[in-house]
Amino acid sequence: MHDLKLPFVRRSERLYSSSNTLKYIFILPAALWIVAFTIFPVFATIQYSFANYVLGRGITAYVGLENYLNVLRSGAFWYSMFITSAYVSIAVPVELVLGFLLAWFVILCPREHNFFRPILTAPLFTMEVAIGYLGITLFTSQGGLFAEVLDYFGVHIPWMTTASGGLAAAIILDVWRWTPFVFLIAIAGLSGIPDEMYEAALLETSNYRHLLLYIALPLSWPVLSVALLLRLIEALKTFGIPLALTGGGPGISTQLFSILNYYTTIQFFDFGKGSAMAVIYLIFVSVVVALFFNGLRKGFE
Amino acid sequence: MRRALWLAASWRVRATTYIVLIVASIWVLTPFVWAIQNSIKSLTDTFNPAAIVPFVNYTPTLSSWIKVLSDNQAIPALLSSLIVSSGTTLLVILLGTPAAYSLAGFEFPIRSRDLNLWFYSQRVMPPVVVLAPFFILLVQLKLVDTRIGLILIYTTFNLTFGIVIMRDVFREISRDINDAAKVDGANAWQIFWLIAIPLSLDGLIVTGIIVFSFCWNEALFASAVAPQHAATLATFVLASRSTQGVNFNIAAVNTLIAIMPPVLMSLFVHRYLARGLTFGAVKG
Repeated sequence: MHDLKLPFVRRSERLYSSSNTLKYIFILPAALWIVAFTIFPVFATIQYSFANYVLGRGITAYVGLENYLNVLRSGAFWYSMFITSAYVSIAVPVELVLGFLLAWFVILCPREHNFFRPILTAPLFTMEVAIGYLGITLFTSQGGLFAEVLDYFGVHIPWMTTASGGLAAAIILDVWRWTPFVFLIAIAGLSGIPDEMYEAALLETSNYRHLLLYIALPLSWPVLSVALLLRLIEALKTFGIPLALTGGGPGISTQLFSILNYYTTIQFFDFGKGSAMAVIYLIFVSVVVALFFNGLRKGFE
Repeated sequence: MRRALWLAASWRVRATTYIVLIVASIWVLTPFVWAIQNSIKSLTDTFNPAAIVPFVNYTPTLSSWIKVLSDNQAIPALLSSLIVSSGTTLLVILLGTPAAYSLAGFEFPIRSRDLNLWFYSQRVMPPVVVLAPFFILLVQLKLVDTRIGLILIYTTFNLTFGIVIMRDVFREISRDINDAAKVDGANAWQIFWLIAIPLSLDGLIVTGIIVFSFCWNEALFASAVAPQHAATLATFVLASRSTQGVNFNIAAVNTLIAIMPPVLMSLFVHRYLARGLTFGAVKG
């Protein structure tokens, strides 16, 4: 009896202890990778932002706040902050509204017509610089599809030659590319609303606008707010579409922050100034995201 | 998809639904159709607004495709994109799956909420912020303009993301199955390898596809640290933008080569997509 019990106890002990080591063995490679490669860059950026960095020679001198003052005195920096904010505050709300409405209609649509869903999702997987590049052929005044169609209706917009035209064209492509992101998440949110809710409401009203505004929207708001927050975070990183569409031009008129910072770092190899501007932007982004996060959390608590 | 809602809908609601969805589909499909159309036109036909229906209004030609594919840049770029994206995906799955399983199934002294906060903060940071340090790191490691350099950077950016989604996928597996396996004498490794992995395979595949398309579509680091020898399609597209200008037919071919693989892959994934894209914050 005693002999039978002992191996059993021992075995279960071994199982427990081996899984305990296993959990650390499992997590170790990923943890090492993350510690090695995600923590140092942020500190390095902060370090370079106070230094004069010459490629090939490394840090030649610490210059205090000079890089920061250079950035804050630069008109191109403030302009890029302004143009990025404008871009984000137009593109994100439009995508949120369109994505939600499309999700609502796809949810309404009978199951056998489900093919709308993969179609409306497709742009989300396209390469942004390729879409910007293709955008040139959509918006250029000689033969561009959008430009020609609008011309036909008597609307002449200088898409590629003015700041506002370029920005508008980039935002239109952004809406095309990113509305599916909100759309997909909104579908997940709307699918979570039980049928009984609608059935009960249908006894009171047959107005679908009311169902949309008083049931679908408030009940899926927690999920939508996640979409809003994530979309905001991604939009603040916008790079590929305007870069490929306008190259930041004409002049610097569509130079969003990421493009300016990219040029400063990679074309002019001004790592000090590039890093200082990155730190300032990181603080700006963190504050904006934190404000939204708190606001949204209050919204559904 | 909502039966009750659809059955009670008036013809006006039904008509609106179809009109909105059809208009939206046209809006979404137009750039694709435009690109395909231009890719089989000759340069002169791309400027002819009347050239709409192939074979009727214009003679389709594969010359742009042949020109791009026989050029000595497109194929290496395609190859680079394939190697870098699949290499990263493989590495993320290899490093991330065990970590995700461990975080999903075992207790750790760190709270999972704190871990989430760390993951999200990783996401908030614009990648351009760490461009200089990674560039300098690659210079020091002599990995500038190599595929390995890109794989290193992309794995870093996608690993936390992959772990978060896969952890969520593993959490779906019921405790009962786990316990049953334990009673049958399976050890922790067997439970992981023979039960957890097969049960969460589709979730892992979706994670892989999302990571793959992130890498495939990435342009900032690709063009900054791998401008020539290891140039990916994103870099190739940016370069041909400045050399080919507005050659509509070439632009169309380049665009199609660059966008099709992830778009085609996306057609096969539905489940977990919303969850993957929101890092598990949204179920569905």
